[in-house]
Amino acid sequence: MVFTIDADIHVNDTPGKLAPYCEMPWRKSLELLDGGSYPYLQIPGFAPNLRQDPPIAGSPPYRSVETAADMRRELNELDIEVGILFPDHLLLFATLPNREYATALAHAYNRWLAEEWLQEDNGLFGVVLASPQNPEDSANEIRKYAKNDRIVGVYLPTAGVHPLWGDRKYDPIFSAAQEADLPVCLHSVTITTPQFPYQLDQFENHFARQVLSHAFAMMANLTSIMHTGVPARYPKLKVVFTEAGIAWVPYMMWRMDKYYNEYRRHVPFLDRRPSEYMRERMWFATQPVEEPDDPSQLVETIHQIGDDRIIFASDWPHHDFDHPKAILKLPMSQDLKRAVMGLNALSAFPRIPVPVAAE
Amino acid sequence: MAEHVIGTIADFPVGSSTVVKIRTIEIGVFNVAGTLYALPNICPHQYGPLCTGGVNGTMVSGPDTDWQLEWGREGEILTCPWHGIEFDITTGQALANPRFKVRQYPISVVDDKVTITLGS
Ligand code: FES
Repeated sequence: MVFTIDADIHVNDTPGKLAPYCEMPWRKSLELLDGGSYPYLQIPGFAPNLRQDPPIAGSPPYRSVETAADMRRELNELDIEVGILFPDHLLLFATLPNREYATALAHAYNRWLAEEWLQEDNGLFGVVLASPQNPEDSANEIRKYAKNDRIVGVYLPTAGVHPLWGDRKYDPIFSAAQEADLPVCLHSVTITTPQFPYQLDQFENHFARQVLSHAFAMMANLTSIMHTGVPARYPKLKVVFTEAGIAWVPYMMWRMDKYYNEYRRHVPFLDRRPSEYMRERMWFATQPVEEPDDPSQLVETIHQIGDDRIIFASDWPHHDFDHPKAILKLPMSQDLKRAVMGLNALSAFPRIPVPVAAE
Repeated sequence: MAEHVIGTIADFPVGSSTVVKIRTIEIGVFNVAGTLYALPNICPHQYGPLCTGGVNGTMVSGPDTDWQLEWGREGEILTCPWHGIEFDITTGQALANPRFKVRQYPISVVDDKVTITLGS
């Protein structure tokens, strides 16, 4: 069996579960929201995850995992040793307009994650939520949770974030993450908001919104952090891109390098080509992995990006999860399979202990 | 090896850029702060007429400038007229891409005569 680290799995962070971990007065709000419909960030007049379509029979069910023990059992069934936990509902976190509520909710999520999911030595690790609404407080959270050795990264809520993650207001987050040697992990979700590039309201069904949402989010945020020099200004910062597949990556490497030729003097703080920063300190999670008819084309795509850049993710338990076999069946060497399934993630997430079998 | 006299030093004052032709070869001659440089008039990107581009400085930023943008290297940077790729005249190296580097022809001044040496 190939040692497997899963860079993206999801815990079900309902308001009722977070409430006991939340400061007043917002604990009251979470208690009131408990038991409501699934996307609880949808308050009246503000519905980033608005279900715009009528339900259609046969669509995948909504699945969630409620406890660490359940998650451990389910990952065992998938042959996954190590999993990195992201939220369900707080994937929408960046769209919250109320800064005080967002700050309290971030604290509650981080406490709950540490208390309920990261207590045992069971292969589950967490990423501390950084609130884009309050970068200074997020930097404090990062410093605080950096002391917890089961926290292995920083989650940057990416769906609907405005301004995009390259804005200099987020410098305290990047600074704290670099200091703690915790990679920042961008994770988006399909939403509709007026914020670039998430204005997906003109598409009349979910097929289209799902096709574009994650990849556009990653492309826009990668460009954003590049155009303000984040990888140059934070020369040890590691960046992980999740849940957008990988085929957009060579395109962005080629396109950014092309325009770096022409507009280098607009970004003179980049002292090498954008693709070189990407190949040095950025990682790209596979799920939802592209499935070309000729799988060797996907392997070629992996080579183009860099054999050491690609990390496996399942997105368990969500509707479009990838089983490890989606990667293991690809026509590539055993060494490359081992790299993608687990060893590359050990470089991206240096806090994950190297398992004896993988050494 | 053949030496070609292309003029006198007075023809290439400080700050000037001139394209000369030797046989079929077009060469850009630049006087950067008193030192002459000779580069091929063909850009490695898509073969534009590199040496007919403007000579300028460029934007500089890094730890030395506390990540602020500053103007620097005035007179040392040649910009290709086609797509704007910047070249360091003193080395022939493109600033944005290590793969793009143009050769430097040997150029010398003897008794006020400016001479470029070409391979046979
Ligand atoms: S040909 Fe010189 S920049 Fe394109």
